[in-house]
Amino acid sequence: MTDTMELEAPARPLGAYTRPKANTGWRDWVTTIDHKKIGILYGAAAMVFFIIGGIEALLIRLQLATPDGTVLGADTYNRVFTMHGVTMVFLVIMPLAAAFANYLLPLQIGARDVAFPRLNALSFWIFLAGAVFLNMSWILGDVPDGGWFAYAPNTGMVFSPGKGMDFYAIGLQITGIASLISAMNLIVTVLNMRAPGMTLFKMPVFTWMILVVQFLLLFAVPVITVALFLLLFDRNFGSNFFNPEMGADPLLWQHLFWIFGHPEVYILILPSFGIISEVIPTFSRKPLFGYPFMVFSGIAIGFMGWGVWAHHMFVSGIGPISVAAFSVSTMFIAVPTGVKILNWLATMWGGRIWFNTPMLFASGVVSMFTIGGLSGVTHSLAPADTQQTDTYYIVAHFHYVIFGGALLGIFAGFYFWWPKVFGHLLSDKLGKWNFWLMLVGFNMTFGPMHILGLQGMSRRIDSYSPGFGFEFWNMFATIGAFIIALGVLTFIVNVVMSARRARHEPPVGLDPWDARSLEWFTPNPTPVHNFDDDIQVEALDEFWHRKYGEDENGKVVRVASAEEVCQDGSATDTHLPSPSYWPVVLAAGLPFVGLGLIYTLWLCVPGAVLILMAIYGWSFEPVDDPDGPHGHHHDHGGDEPVDDGSGATPAEETAEEAPVG
Amino acid sequence: MITKRLHPGWLAALASGAVLALSGCASDAPLDTLEPQGPISRSIDSLSDPIFLVAGIVFVIIFGATAVIWFKFRDDHSTDEFPEQIHGNFRVEIGWTIGPAVIMAVIAVFAVISHFELNSSDRTDIQVAVDGTATSWDPEIVVVGQQWWWEFRYYFDGLDGVDLSDPRNLPPADIVTANQMVIPTGSEIGLSITSRDVIHSFWIPALNGKRDAVPRRVSPWKIEADVPGLYFGQCTEFCGLSHSRMRMQTVAMEPADFQAWVDRQMRPAVEPNRAAAQRGREIFEGQCARCHVVNGVNDDTSRGADLVANAAPNLTHLMSRTTYAGGIFNLYESDGTLNRPQLEAWLRNAPAEKPAYAEGRRGMPAIGLSEGQIDDVVAYLQTLGETPTLDIIAATEVE
Repeated sequence: MTDTMELEAPARPLGAYTRPKANTGWRDWVTTIDHKKIGILYGAAAMVFFIIGGIEALLIRLQLATPDGTVLGADTYNRVFTMHGVTMVFLVIMPLAAAFANYLLPLQIGARDVAFPRLNALSFWIFLAGAVFLNMSWILGDVPDGGWFAYAPNTGMVFSPGKGMDFYAIGLQITGIASLISAMNLIVTVLNMRAPGMTLFKMPVFTWMILVVQFLLLFAVPVITVALFLLLFDRNFGSNFFNPEMGADPLLWQHLFWIFGHPEVYILILPSFGIISEVIPTFSRKPLFGYPFMVFSGIAIGFMGWGVWAHHMFVSGIGPISVAAFSVSTMFIAVPTGVKILNWLATMWGGRIWFNTPMLFASGVVSMFTIGGLSGVTHSLAPADTQQTDTYYIVAHFHYVIFGGALLGIFAGFYFWWPKVFGHLLSDKLGKWNFWLMLVGFNMTFGPMHILGLQGMSRRIDSYSPGFGFEFWNMFATIGAFIIALGVLTFIVNVVMSARRARHEPPVGLDPWDARSLEWFTPNPTPVHNFDDDIQVEALDEFWHRKYGEDENGKVVRVASAEEVCQDGSATDTHLPSPSYWPVVLAAGLPFVGLGLIYTLWLCVPGAVLILMAIYGWSFEPVDDPDGPHGHHHDHGGDEPVDDGSGATPAEETAEEAPVG
Repeated sequence: MITKRLHPGWLAALASGAVLALSGCASDAPLDTLEPQGPISRSIDSLSDPIFLVAGIVFVIIFGATAVIWFKFRDDHSTDEFPEQIHGNFRVEIGWTIGPAVIMAVIAVFAVISHFELNSSDRTDIQVAVDGTATSWDPEIVVVGQQWWWEFRYYFDGLDGVDLSDPRNLPPADIVTANQMVIPTGSEIGLSITSRDVIHSFWIPALNGKRDAVPRRVSPWKIEADVPGLYFGQCTEFCGLSHSRMRMQTVAMEPADFQAWVDRQMRPAVEPNRAAAQRGREIFEGQCARCHVVNGVNDDTSRGADLVANAAPNLTHLMSRTTYAGGIFNLYESDGTLNRPQLEAWLRNAPAEKPAYAEGRRGMPAIGLSEGQIDDVVAYLQTLGETPTLDIIAATEVE
């Protein structure tokens, strides 16, 4: 049976058709298909864009610190605020969530990697290609300036005649491909590759939230893909999808954008909800309160999130009946979110809480997201929103939920999982400085924006006149923004110093946090092969239940040490998927195609060549490296897809040679 | 140690409490939404105030619980025992799912009722003398946004039969003015809001919420003031380069004053009799008339403006307004004299005063007038319309 499924391969493979072998150095990182390295790549890239987006934010705040500011002219300001939004949403929060999802999801379900490792690498490189492409606009001089939401007709050729909005549309198309590929990959991974005994309802909440997010991406990204194609066609090929002078309805753009855009905000927040659902129980020393409700509320948010998009359009003129319907649906989506807040508080209640850095960040999420959620409820009332929308009150709201919710959650994740990823802890002392600086700075920056908005300060204005009462809080907010910057700097210092210190300190050892889920079975940092053997899962929080039982009084007693429960990472002969050159080659072709669409179609040619070459090479490269380890196979039931593509069961595979000369 | 002194809950509570408390302090905040000055904005406020209160109560509960958690359940290292491993409580969780849902449902009822009221019209006709003839006017004003100013058109025979489908070619109106919309107090005034180019948003916070101006769509809205005065506004949908500089004001007058205003606005421009003004008029006809209209001078020949939006502010009664250039510059000093330096600067080099895309036909270009010509044009402009009252001028002053 395997013979008929083999491809005819050349007797001596050409150089490009071997699988790369590097496992150190930059070649390793460029050709890796290991989900852990890909997670680290996502995280590192996203942090670079976080700095860029943060500088953009500081420029905004400098401009707005005083009335009639002159730091940035109106044109530059419009580009900076556009890129700040695009960068933070698409190039920071989403890839940071992807970093955690990529690193942890296979570990949390007890798998060796994701279902399609090369596609996983492709997702990262395509994301990076799109992110770089978008930011090339700074150098090439035409930076997008239509706002991150890019409303038509302002972004059409008549009103945005430069190339900026083409960079926007193509850049986001490229990153959208990455999200879609990743969504399919992770869904298949969760559905097919869980450890034996791990039913869906024994998965950690983090894995559940990531799963919901992948479904949201799967259905939402195509909508913005359509919208961006329509915009590109309007701008470049003379179509009139959004041209009211030719009879189009400009609100079409808003509908398409927000049908994507609203699920997008749940895409931004749910991973952080998942992260803190792991952190809070660990440091409260109690299980998560109401696991089924936490899972179902996440699923509910996933469904309900599709029915609220026009709350971004309450004053756009869609008609009172539509507005009423969306107003009511928006009010009700507060319910599953409120359930989560209460469940986290109930988890902490009665606990014995260690307020270390990850717990501080997680607790910060609960508090800050509450504020953001409450202001969101106030906007859900359509009449109130006619005063609030498009003002700084909305800016306050979404920064509380995205920064206070998503970003603080991500930082909780950094501090929590750093030992798992890198084998050493981040300094808790510096971490606390990191947290407090960020928290104080953040509240100083965005708290007053509630006031500014209610006092009538519009959004997206490059300056304001004196005499409107906006001066004090704008200056206050600017100071707060620089305190945030100090907090971020503290994090970077922490990363560097902790790495240096770790070189002459003993490694962190097993299970530093006395945690609950499967990823902590492995040594720290995670060995490249993840697990030595499959883990038979019998309960939610399986790792915890192997370490702890109950005595006759129902009290928790330790029944096994970490050394006894954890694996030792010795199965280094595990058959792993081999690295590949082709994902990065394919991704590299995309910016050329994009630049070609913008400047001259001839540039599309090298891009197309790279893409086609990569697809061809990908299809024909050997299924793995013949010199790689083939010794150790997981003791599984045999229905797990064997990643070398031969379709063979593990027993058969041991006997055969890989099909290369 | 920092963690002992500053607790996240208290810190954020302080910050947020301060926000809520201070948001009531609105001394010199002309765009303040929390100080409604008309019946419509008051009705919105009467819905949002209780909601802010409910939100504040929930906030206090959540932060209170957080504070208790901090003080009561933090590990003080007095024991190594594990707390009770509670996995959940079905009844409690159902309770705090259904409870908030019920609260939201109740809020929804009030919100929906208020919303439909806000979107309904309850206008009564206003008696206006138009050219001496008493007319029953169903008060609706056509509000047109374009980059980066607002136009207001009055049709005293009502809007039935007025074709607004092509905003760049609107039917001739009885009064066409810009930047400042004048309304009589005590009446609900309908607004038909549209745009000639991109999406803008019309907002006079003291009097009502906002409504977007969408090209080729006419959105019904309304406004009402019960106290005479000048109410500030700001375009509130990002519309490009000078979005921040696209402002407007609503001037509310007692009905008798409104009638006087209508009478003056309906007169065409007077012939200038001073030489400078006459020279200025010639410059106007040679240069400015490419875009601007003065009734009695080029209103019958003008086909619009040499701009993408096909319109520029009608200048017939420029002097009766207290702001210009999209409502951002004061036309008068606080003593009622003309604010010459700013007006001259505008005529000298408009793009230097307000960013625009003159070469893309969106915004007033630098016309290249000599200083003498500028003086002449100012002299001519001063003949266009009558100076408003000092209290309106004073109300406009925002530095």
